[in-house]
Amino acid sequence: MTARGDRVLGLVLLVLAVAYGWAAQQWPEPFGGAEAVGPETFPTLLAIVLALSSLYLMVKPDPDQGWPLGRTAGELVLALVILVVYAALIEPLGFVAATTLAVGSLSWRMGAKPSTAFLSGLASAVVVFVVFNYGLSLSLPAGPLGGE
Amino acid sequence: METLQFLMDGFAVALTPYNLMFALFGAFIGTLIGALPGLGPANGVAILIPLAFTLGLPPETAMILLTSVYAGAMYGGRISSILLNIPGDEPAMMTCLDGYPMAQKGRAADALAISAIASFAGGLIGTIGLILLAPVLARFALTFGPAEYFALFLLAFATLGGITGKNPMKTVVAATLGVMISTVGIDIATGTQRYTFGVLELYEGIDFILAIVGLFAISELLFFIESRAGAGRKLIQVGKLSLSLKEVIATIPTLFRGGILGFISGVLPGAGASLGSFISYTLEKQYLGKKAHFGDGDSRGVAAPEAGNNGASSGALVPMLTLGVPGSGTTAVLLAMLISLNITPGPLMFTQNADIVWGVIAALLIGNVLLLVLNIPLVGFFVKLLSVPPMYLLPVVTMVAFVGIYSISHSTFDLYFMIAFGVAGYVLRKLDIPLVPIILGMLLGPEMEKNLGHALVLSDGDWSTLWGSPLAIGLWAFAALGLALPYIVGPLLRRRMKVAITEGPESD
Repeated sequence: MTARGDRVLGLVLLVLAVAYGWAAQQWPEPFGGAEAVGPETFPTLLAIVLALSSLYLMVKPDPDQGWPLGRTAGELVLALVILVVYAALIEPLGFVAATTLAVGSLSWRMGAKPSTAFLSGLASAVVVFVVFNYGLSLSLPAGPLGGE
Repeated sequence: METLQFLMDGFAVALTPYNLMFALFGAFIGTLIGALPGLGPANGVAILIPLAFTLGLPPETAMILLTSVYAGAMYGGRISSILLNIPGDEPAMMTCLDGYPMAQKGRAADALAISAIASFAGGLIGTIGLILLAPVLARFALTFGPAEYFALFLLAFATLGGITGKNPMKTVVAATLGVMISTVGIDIATGTQRYTFGVLELYEGIDFILAIVGLFAISELLFFIESRAGAGRKLIQVGKLSLSLKEVIATIPTLFRGGILGFISGVLPGAGASLGSFISYTLEKQYLGKKAHFGDGDSRGVAAPEAGNNGASSGALVPMLTLGVPGSGTTAVLLAMLISLNITPGPLMFTQNADIVWGVIAALLIGNVLLLVLNIPLVGFFVKLLSVPPMYLLPVVTMVAFVGIYSISHSTFDLYFMIAFGVAGYVLRKLDIPLVPIILGMLLGPEMEKNLGHALVLSDGDWSTLWGSPLAIGLWAFAALGLALPYIVGPLLRRRMKVAITEGPESD
């Protein structure tokens, strides 16, 4: 068992703490002069706490959990790509079409048969669209299929 | 007897048809959320928050909806424990010990019925405890000054990992990260822009609802994909109810003991529902000794942890409502709802927003009755839904999370932000950094800074004011203890829990 995960995390957090603390010292003095507590007081405290605890993580790391490799890692990245594309398409393509694609492809990648996956995507998209637009009168983007 | 008067007013709020409808809906959805594997109560409540918002519900209705979901989730957790031997959430772990053996013997329906009754009894006892204790604690909390509040927030973080927590230092890291996220945006006191990098969307700070949904829902999806558990598992047949009245009556003393123990561990910071169900089960096992056959499908072995778990979930509302300091993940998410409704939680809420507080408490009582009525006839329906494999379910849940976030702001930027939080949540969970302290940090951060500022202004910049009163020193001491105890007691307690679980089903 290695403990690289915690060491890397500790290092990243230490860099974050230093950057965060340093940035806090750069703010201009607030209008009306400095007081006992300024906008930088609390962030400075936080930076110190985070720096100390990240040092602790580097000195005494816990053993790593297994990280996904190969195909599993690929599936995870693919899922994220699907989510990002979903967010990007929701307005231009309309809610129902984008959702069918997103839910369908996610289900499919999780092991469902493509036909049932996209069918469940379409069904859930239509149900949610109808409930939101007509039941709750919250408008979701209809897209080109909605027909203005 | 003014409490009784308030409670009556609370019932008047909760019993309006509109609120009652939402309580029923919440109880139903909550049971579903609790029952479905991979959709813990905190996660489920988080996904519903944006919906409660966009519906424009009045504050008391929104809170009634979410507390009913919370109570329902505790009910639902037991269904998968009994039928699948997989706890729906952590506190339901102990229910597996006797629930699953009972189901294997063909008494699944009885186990489900007993656990529903036990959940009802535990929830009822817990809520009565809440009614008695909360006003007293709220009055006491009025004596707190800014220094005491600052120390109290530290105490909340220190104990959040729980006595059974693994590495307290990781709780500290998580909480600090959360508070750091809360400092993004324009400083309320001085108007200084902090960490906005000139990005317009960051001026108002980072919306914690978006962060919560991202951290929970998206990271859960990623975990499921990684573990390739998409196909789900085989269910045990439920069969017919053969429970006799005598057996139900025999569990009554167990229900009382379990509910009270659960409530106490729910109120205590850092103990929570998991410990509540564990203590109830083990003490009951010792108390009954040879008279029972625990681990072998004894109905009292189902009743004790369920009563404890539901007692604890009501108990955990006490610190959340009176001090504004939640003791568990789900109550932290409920706190997020309160803050977004512009209600400052804490002792003043009992006087300023009495209708909401007592409406919620009354809704808990009504919710428990509704849940019992819902659960016994509808159990077959919930079981059916449980057999929907996660590969269909989780994508739909993720989509509902997207819809919720999108309908708050109608901005795609927020969706990307939520996905980013999901990735961060996945990586942090992989590294054993708990997510709940991050959320609590985001919620309490602004209050913490405000109280620190007030304390220092009052003392003219003298930092020793933070530990200047006996009460503040006491809180600091407890906070220190909260961080130190897991190192001492934690390994011992965890080992005993593990022993109880591995040994349980075989021992006589």
